[in-house]
Amino acid sequence: MRFAFALCLLSSAALADPVVTFTSDEKTSGIIHAYAGEWEYMVGGGTAVFDCNGDMKPDMFLAGGEKPSGFYVNTSERGKDLRFAKHTSGAELVATTGAYPLDIDADAITDLVILRVGENVVMKGEGDCKFSRANELWGFEGGDAWSTAFAATFEKGADFPTLAIGNYVNRYEEAMPWGSCTDNWLHRPDGKKFASPKALKPSYCPLSIMFTDWNRSGTPALRMSNDREYYEGGQEQMWVVEAGKEPQLYTQEQGWKYLRIWGMGASTYDFDFDGYPEYYLSSMSDSKYQTLEKPDGTATKPSYADIAWKKAVTAHRPYMGDDLKTSTGWHTQIEDVNNDGLADIFVAKGNVAEMPDFSMKDPNNMFLQKPDGTFLEAGGTSGAGSMRMARGAALADFNLDGLIDMVVVNRNENIDLFRNTSASAGHFLMLELKQDGPNRDGIGAWIEVKLGGKTLRREAISGGGHASGQLGFWHFGLGTEVQAEVRVLWANGEAGDWQTLKADQFYRLERGKEAVEIAAK
Amino acid sequence: MTHLNLNRRCLLGAAAFSIFPRVSVAATQQMTSEQVLQDWYCLVLMLVRHTATYSPPVASRAFAYLGVAVQESVVSTDATASSLAGQLNGLGKSPRNTKASSLPHILHGALERSVSHFFGNTGPTGKRTIKVMSRKISAALMGSVADDVAVASEDLGHAIADHVFEWSKTDGGLVIENLGFPMTYAKAEAKQDWVPTSPITLQQTPLLPTWGDNRTFALANGKACSLPPPPTYSEDKASDFYKEALEVYDTVKAITPEQRMIARFWSDDPMLSPTPPGHWVSIALQLFERENTDVKRRASTLAQLGITLADAFIGCWATKFEYDLLRPVTYIKRVIDKAWMPILITPPFPEYPSGHSTQSAAAAVVLTAAFGENFAFEDATHVRDGLKPRAYASFEAAAQEAGISRLYGGIHFRAAIERGLEQGRCIGAHALKLKFTV
Repeated sequence: MRFAFALCLLSSAALADPVVTFTSDEKTSGIIHAYAGEWEYMVGGGTAVFDCNGDMKPDMFLAGGEKPSGFYVNTSERGKDLRFAKHTSGAELVATTGAYPLDIDADAITDLVILRVGENVVMKGEGDCKFSRANELWGFEGGDAWSTAFAATFEKGADFPTLAIGNYVNRYEEAMPWGSCTDNWLHRPDGKKFASPKALKPSYCPLSIMFTDWNRSGTPALRMSNDREYYEGGQEQMWVVEAGKEPQLYTQEQGWKYLRIWGMGASTYDFDFDGYPEYYLSSMSDSKYQTLEKPDGTATKPSYADIAWKKAVTAHRPYMGDDLKTSTGWHTQIEDVNNDGLADIFVAKGNVAEMPDFSMKDPNNMFLQKPDGTFLEAGGTSGAGSMRMARGAALADFNLDGLIDMVVVNRNENIDLFRNTSASAGHFLMLELKQDGPNRDGIGAWIEVKLGGKTLRREAISGGGHASGQLGFWHFGLGTEVQAEVRVLWANGEAGDWQTLKADQFYRLERGKEAVEIAAK
Repeated sequence: MTHLNLNRRCLLGAAAFSIFPRVSVAATQQMTSEQVLQDWYCLVLMLVRHTATYSPPVASRAFAYLGVAVQESVVSTDATASSLAGQLNGLGKSPRNTKASSLPHILHGALERSVSHFFGNTGPTGKRTIKVMSRKISAALMGSVADDVAVASEDLGHAIADHVFEWSKTDGGLVIENLGFPMTYAKAEAKQDWVPTSPITLQQTPLLPTWGDNRTFALANGKACSLPPPPTYSEDKASDFYKEALEVYDTVKAITPEQRMIARFWSDDPMLSPTPPGHWVSIALQLFERENTDVKRRASTLAQLGITLADAFIGCWATKFEYDLLRPVTYIKRVIDKAWMPILITPPFPEYPSGHSTQSAAAAVVLTAAFGENFAFEDATHVRDGLKPRAYASFEAAAQEAGISRLYGGIHFRAAIERGLEQGRCIGAHALKLKFTV
């Protein structure tokens, strides 16, 4: 009965274009922060968004480039304007390009991995938004590279996470930097410490990487979106990373297709409800929307078709303004920003520096998914189409009203902070994953929500985007549904029970237990 | 003495052509004119690869003007060298200064300024690298001649570059908007007309449709080496057109590893290589080192090669847009096999004739004149991209391979290749009429 009702609602929604509205809270937010610097900071500019003081509201680490990074505690009231207070966290460092939150030591306090031009630093969360350097404590060798990408996974049987770090150009090659991509690193655990990192050769200057279970094998592969501007003989890559084995690249013979783009950012979602993730790869000029080719209906080869054109999400050129030169895309993230049950795509945009062949006034994209699976550009109409020189970003519910808000880090300009003020948004679910053991936040799990005869699925990844990561609630829009069936497929292969959850609530989904509704403090 | 302490190899790949290390060991030697030339051209090949505007026609234009600036620099200190003023369409006399007697400084000034002129739209890394190159070569030349001579010589180099740049402004190729793709373009009307083949949005209009109208260098105009029309479009299996398409289809379907390698070797994709004209400039630079060619011959060869490459693209583009023929992928999917895919990325402009064929044949004519008939050589252009060097018995053999590589890659019919080669030979012959010595 509910199935038929929901289908009816979806088809009536098809009659009107989807809508989202954002209001800028930048001026009143209390945040004054730019990602600053010259050549070494033309890429990067990320943020880590997570709750560091247990009030459920996402707080914010902001990379600073050559200036110190910033930390802001979320002081917003539920459903109200977005407000933050500058905070001395202990994680204030110079030469930062981005950061990702992760509970490395499984103490239920989120830690931080900070990417830098120079030594990368892991910061142990001490609670109450305080952090302390833990490179020595955890045996983490930070190296000396220009680090630009990050991903984490928990390999089977491991007590600690495996961290992958993507490194960019050899910054010491000032006269001939092209072709000087430095090695990416895989920091695997050695008990409750990290072993010395292993180089992932060849390395092709990735700007976004993620562990993702592309074929639902139960073991995520390491996907790398590489910047063709600097590699020679390179291409996009995906590594098989199996516990206890050396990583192996997928080859053309195995089905991996030869693709060379200016890989800047990556995000993933199962858009077509087939159980396998799609990937959105931001780039200069046309971005890519990749769907798995399944000639016989199953995922036998890692071969992807680009359907960005068909889906109207190429994001190749500004959709407004008078500078219509080619676009430059950076952070990308997929979230349902209008709670209609259809995931949407955000792309941060901005010129690298002063590249005259590319747009200098390049508005961010907000692609709203329509019921037919194509997308509508709503960057301009939503109010989120900032023309600033964007880099990293995070889409998160900062004021706990069930609507996805947005922070965008800009190069040499203040951040943009957008509060989602959509009046006609649908219902939602906010789901937090928890489990005992090393992987407390359920990284690598798949969350499934039945809606309108289809199953929404998303992978709980740590990585991707552009130098920007998040940890906390996973959001689902429900449209007009007031409840939905939900289950979690945990990374260890265990399938949680289907549970019916009421809409518009925040839940903790703990492995082996019933969902618990949690209220904002 | 200051020297260039750069660790990276030049684009040319093989250690023998590693310009920067070679200069770096010359801590007590004067940087020569040949080295100045080679280092700047090495950077130019990188800039062509890494500057978005530099599609093959645009790259060929820059090579022509850079070559002219180099030749005029040599002329300023060598009474036996012949100016190109009066020989090339619209080029007036270059500036002179008798006090400017240091050719390395003149060449450095001319190339430093020309690179700024022609690569002003490169990205932050390119801009940074140009500055580093300028600084390091200036430092390497310091103290080699009296200060007033050095200053006068660099100034003359700048003046020659400015003179050439002023001349370039009126050729029709100065402004490249939207990376060369017009914002609007009339849709195909007839079945044989070119239609876009790429899912990339930018490439839904053809690249530089008016490039064939540009002022030529040694040719009278873009139609001076025109071609007869391609085979008449037909879907009849007995027609020449169908047979040519079937040849592409069958070749790609039964492609051998060697053919695949040849297709890739000459693919020369923009922004992933020095482009087709840059490939031939790279060959010339490699041979200069191998043959220890003197600066006078280097200059004349780079000028003649740049000129013929630029004329080849203008002539080829004039013909391409005269006939506006569809690509093999369009025809084969329409008539033979809906699921067929070429090996190479199909370039976003009309098919006939093959641009690589035209410009390769023209380049082969010029390099044969410079180095001799049946001059065997090895081409290491793509070593840094992981492609092994390939050996050729002659420049003509290399041009033939460049041409047929487009059939192996599935992006050209045979007629476009064979007639493109004919067109290139015609264009190259015009460049041979230029006088480089008095």
